[in-house]
Amino acid sequence: MVPLILRILARLALGLLVLIALAPILWTALGAFKELRDIVTPVPKLFFTPTLDNFATILGNPTIRDGLVNSVLVVAASVGIGALLGIPAAHTLARHMRRRGDDIQFFVLSLRFMPPVAIAIPFIVIYLDLGIYDSLGGLILVYLVTTISTMIWLATPAFERVPPEIEEAAAMEGCSEAEVFWRISLPVAAPSLFGALVFTFVLVWNELLLALTLAAQNATLPVVAASITSLGKEVPWGVINAATVVLVLPPLFFIGLLMGLINSMIRSGGRTKG
Amino acid sequence: MTRQRFILLTLAPALTVLGLLAAVSTAGAVWFSLMNRVLGSPDYEFVGLYNYLRLLRDKRFFNALEISLIWELITVAGTLVVAVLLAVLVHETVKRALWRNLICFAFLAPVLLPRVAAAFIWRFLYSPSLGLLNWIVGEAGLGPVEFLANPSLALVSVAVVDIWQWGLFFTVILVKLLETMPRDPIEAAMLDNARTWQIHAYVTLPMLKGPLISLALVKAVESLRSFDLIFVMTGGGPGTATETLDLYAYQSGINLGGRVSYASAMSILLLIVTTVAFTLIWRASRKWSR
Amino acid sequence: MAHIECSGIVKSYGAHPVIDGLNLMIPDHEFVVFLGPSGCGKSTMLRMIAGLEEVTAGRISIGGADVTNRHPGQRGVAMVFQSYALYPHMTVADNITFGLRRAGVPGPEIDRRLGEVARMLGLEPMLNRKPKAMSGGQQQRVAMARAMIKTPKVFLFDEPLSNLDAKLREKLRTEIRKMHNSLKTTTIFVTHDQLEAMTIADRIVLMRAGAIEQQGTPDEIFDRPATRFVADFIGSPSMNFRLGRIERGAAVAGSVRIPLPPGRFAVAEGQEVELGLRPTRMERVSPGAEGAITGRVSLIENMGAEGQIIAEVDGADMSFVTRDFRGLSIGDPVSFALSPDHLHIFDRATGRSCLA
Repeated sequence: MVPLILRILARLALGLLVLIALAPILWTALGAFKELRDIVTPVPKLFFTPTLDNFATILGNPTIRDGLVNSVLVVAASVGIGALLGIPAAHTLARHMRRRGDDIQFFVLSLRFMPPVAIAIPFIVIYLDLGIYDSLGGLILVYLVTTISTMIWLATPAFERVPPEIEEAAAMEGCSEAEVFWRISLPVAAPSLFGALVFTFVLVWNELLLALTLAAQNATLPVVAASITSLGKEVPWGVINAATVVLVLPPLFFIGLLMGLINSMIRSGGRTKG
Repeated sequence: MTRQRFILLTLAPALTVLGLLAAVSTAGAVWFSLMNRVLGSPDYEFVGLYNYLRLLRDKRFFNALEISLIWELITVAGTLVVAVLLAVLVHETVKRALWRNLICFAFLAPVLLPRVAAAFIWRFLYSPSLGLLNWIVGEAGLGPVEFLANPSLALVSVAVVDIWQWGLFFTVILVKLLETMPRDPIEAAMLDNARTWQIHAYVTLPMLKGPLISLALVKAVESLRSFDLIFVMTGGGPGTATETLDLYAYQSGINLGGRVSYASAMSILLLIVTTVAFTLIWRASRKWSR
Repeated sequence: MAHIECSGIVKSYGAHPVIDGLNLMIPDHEFVVFLGPSGCGKSTMLRMIAGLEEVTAGRISIGGADVTNRHPGQRGVAMVFQSYALYPHMTVADNITFGLRRAGVPGPEIDRRLGEVARMLGLEPMLNRKPKAMSGGQQQRVAMARAMIKTPKVFLFDEPLSNLDAKLREKLRTEIRKMHNSLKTTTIFVTHDQLEAMTIADRIVLMRAGAIEQQGTPDEIFDRPATRFVADFIGSPSMNFRLGRIERGAAVAGSVRIPLPPGRFAVAEGQEVELGLRPTRMERVSPGAEGAITGRVSLIENMGAEGQIIAEVDGADMSFVTRDFRGLSIGDPVSFALSPDHLHIFDRATGRSCLA
């Protein structure tokens, strides 16, 4: 048995680790409610008079507001189209393509190997030539590479986990392939698909490089945040903290769903191997 | 609707969009790399392989290649080592499901942060004048450390953020994998009087070889996309101490000068190297994990 | 009228045929069991009749109509799966009525038929539950109800009882057979369990390596196995086999000598054969009796009413079943004999039975 001292040390180490995981985020959140003079102190302040000025500033700032709107539009459109095209394709790959399916899946995965710059640079030139540079539509189109491939990548195993007998039973009751997909596979796989959707959302919501290069004027939130943070020495730290909090909130909102996705992936992985 | 038509209708749209976008960007990059185009100037001509030949004499390109390789090594190895150690620690010390789930939630938070946000948070922490870390270091009597301005520290300091995000995330995955592992071999090892660390070193971790290799692969792919983190934290500096290939391609192609043809040549090389490397690793990993 | 006719069925995966030119005729109202070891093609055969697998070549007709290229839903068949295959996101009632609702059957009609099958299978109290909250036996009843409510021309069962524990298996087996006795729907039932097949079937189709090894009533299969494989596969404890030859009107293997009943076998003097002795067709006799086999007890398995004695005869184990096993102990000499009407003789080269 492990000696008591070792166990206490292990507990302490764990506590420290949780602190390391969360403290940076919490510290930033705290900073968002501080006035500048509470931030620029030689000794960090844990207690201070909270203010909402920083949030008022960013919500009143048209660049940030536009960034928020652009982000929502771009993310909603690209994730929506990605799901619409990717989910049926994933079902077909999981069920109807025994031989060629592996090759297609490798192709889809290889798109994720593609360095983003290798997409950004040609498209910036093409968009300039076509006159659709700096448009949200152009950004959405490029994001489809990420969303469709990620949806297929994550949804294929989700559909593979639907027991084939259930789909066969539905076929025996006269359902066509499309009906089997719509009335049986989709609802049964829905929880995992939802996780895949969230994952894809987080990827696109967080994306910087493509947004920066292809839509510098119609900037999304990460671009706006990046541009504020690289202002140099004279920085409105509190405002930046607040902007970060706004940027961070939506993905964090989905933490439980991501956990569910991990759980279901791992449990089914264990089942197929064991 | 027949089966064949259903297959076609579901697959064709997705694969067409993916195929077109991939083909356009690759063909576009190849095509532009043979020109001497500069953003904002309408004139350009065909220059053949000139851009590639110039790359081979570009010291900054080889510096970026080296930085990229070091970055890959540090982040992949760091993430896996951190994840394995922490997962074993959590698995062995926390037995209550509630606590374990709470810890997992805490560990999941960093990876969900937008990289821009993570980069900013840590830049704030690293800041020499008002950062929390420098205050701690200062209290310890070590004076202010220029985490991001010191060329020999900068890359590691940025890598720490990457490992903070991904190492903790992989810890959660490994904890879940350890939970769902079949108990029999572990119990057999316990009956053989193995110590805890021996059980993990000789039984559980070898059993997790397949997932660990997959995780390493995922991380290697993800490390290639660290542009956001480095861009916000250091912008490639100080000097070129943290300038990876994608950063250099961005700087030369878009930010400064807009030499898109030169940047295209670079991204084509990057594309070839990563595709070859990952195809080989992918094949090999399928063999190893068996 | 729903007889099933399969002619020249071929199924291959790639170049390798797993079923090669199989012909089968199932008359109306019959309860047929496809029996065989795993990988013999019995499930594939069933799935081809259901329409879940395509046939590589050959024709399948149900009730006189060629269904070879029809969608599974248009063949008038219903299937019960080993894993129940209930729709997890629907309640029991929705599971059962899914097919009818899909086909646009009017509501009152659906309710009437749902009530009927639910009563028959005792599912009334759980119609609003989800499958997850039910035991395996209950889930399989729901699956059966889902098949029955369609009033199909043919019922297909794919190892429906394999996931259940022994007690429940027996109970449901009886129910399925009773259901068939009242509905009289043509039924195909796949299993690898020979006891299940014997107890439930009108006719057994015993398959091996993608071909039919023998078909017949359970009695025919048990008492007149056409090949050594069938003889070995059917019956528990399994048949004893001894290599031997025909000598002066008897089958001889070492010290075992069993006189041949006249006219039962078509064998020649001196022919190399393999003898098959069913343990359940042997009984203890006094040592000097006609055809007695003598050995030394090496193991006694008490099965309650009977016991299985494993005796060493000529250096190899031979088992038989007797009620008179108490009082014997390991090492004792024991004599037993086979009733000659139950001797089986197989040709050594072909494995085929030498029954005339």
